[in-house]
Amino acid sequence: MGSYYDVDAILTDAQKVPCTFELTVPGLGFLEGNMSGDMKQGSKVELPLWLGEMLALSQSLNTSSLVTLDAPSALAPRVLNALKADPRTVDLRALAPHFYNLGARILELFDEEEMIEVLSDTFKARAAVIADQAHNPRGALGEGADFLRGLDENERQLFRAAHDSAKAVRAWMTELKKK
Amino acid sequence: MALPLPPGLTPPEIAFLCEMELVTVIPRQRLEGLELLGGPLKPLNPPQRTSVPLWLALLLKRQRRANILPPPWLSPESLTAILDHETEYADAFSPPPRLPPLASNNTLPFSPPFLPSSTADAAPDALPYHWLELGEMLLEAAADDFEDPDNVRKLLRGLREVRMAKLRHGVEVLDAGGGVPMNGVGGMEVGEGRAFVTGVIDGLRKIAASREQQKKDREREERENGYSDYDNDEMDMQ
Repeated sequence: MGSYYDVDAILTDAQKVPCTFELTVPGLGFLEGNMSGDMKQGSKVELPLWLGEMLALSQSLNTSSLVTLDAPSALAPRVLNALKADPRTVDLRALAPHFYNLGARILELFDEEEMIEVLSDTFKARAAVIADQAHNPRGALGEGADFLRGLDENERQLFRAAHDSAKAVRAWMTELKKK
Repeated sequence: MALPLPPGLTPPEIAFLCEMELVTVIPRQRLEGLELLGGPLKPLNPPQRTSVPLWLALLLKRQRRANILPPPWLSPESLTAILDHETEYADAFSPPPRLPPLASNNTLPFSPPFLPSSTADAAPDALPYHWLELGEMLLEAAADDFEDPDNVRKLLRGLREVRMAKLRHGVEVLDAGGGVPMNGVGGMEVGEGRAFVTGVIDGLRKIAASREQQKKDREREERENGYSDYDNDEMDMQ
């Protein structure tokens, strides 16, 4: 998934997910802010996705895994319900700057049909609004400003792409008039 | 990613391709035949109508050596009819001009710009592939050859707005495997919509990537088990 140097992929992997330790790990207390202590069994810590994933998937000799992952708060049922109700009003950027990438990574780990549906529908509904805003130069400053501030990184790229292509056509038309 | 240009063609490039379209001119001066890369050009004899490539027509027009005869679909009546059609059918674009019948079975089908879709005897009821570019360029260079240039310009703007809105709202019905019917979409519209539409499809594919992976795994498993339900599934999907 993504290139090794893809900044967005790196930033996605750096987002925190809640993990629960299943075993007591000696010397790992610094993750909790406990500099010299042990990581107790059952303690909940927010770990970056890459670390949590590695710990959850790596199998030690006794077959139970080290930590269990939970879905991050950005993808909690509360958020998904809000998205189902009205995708346009949710501030995705406040939830996670790389909301959809995070969703895709989480869906690789969990099997959740419904989340795929909700995320796809959200993306489609918001993409239509993004396209309208991108073609309407006043929208970005006026009533659309709040919506645009809540776009996640993917959606910002989409906005930029739609805006740039519309601008290129307009530039060509004005160029034509100068001749 | 390192390329400064987006994928696809930029508007000036699309306009450049459009300049190969044939348009009808009424020459005002004699001009001897030219040997062009695209084929020989017949001598221009005023006042006989001839079809020449758009770039030459614009050049002659600018030098006041010829008048351009706008294609029939660029008349206010045709454009109004097409605009009505566009607003009436909200989920499809107005159909492209009909292709001429093939001379025989083993000839290759022609495509723009080798079809005379913008000459004086083109079909009046359909927008050809380069409608927007051609219309804008003709209106700019040869506005005095139109009967009612302001009205034509207004109708072109209206058509462009309606069709771009349709293209944008087409993405709402997309899913990772589905599509939007884009029959009749013009070159400039494809160029303008490309970045947005491909961006949406990429995003949707990313979200549904895990489901696709599961499906592939399941299909592979079924094939390995010698269970041939796979063919039937594909038939059902179509």
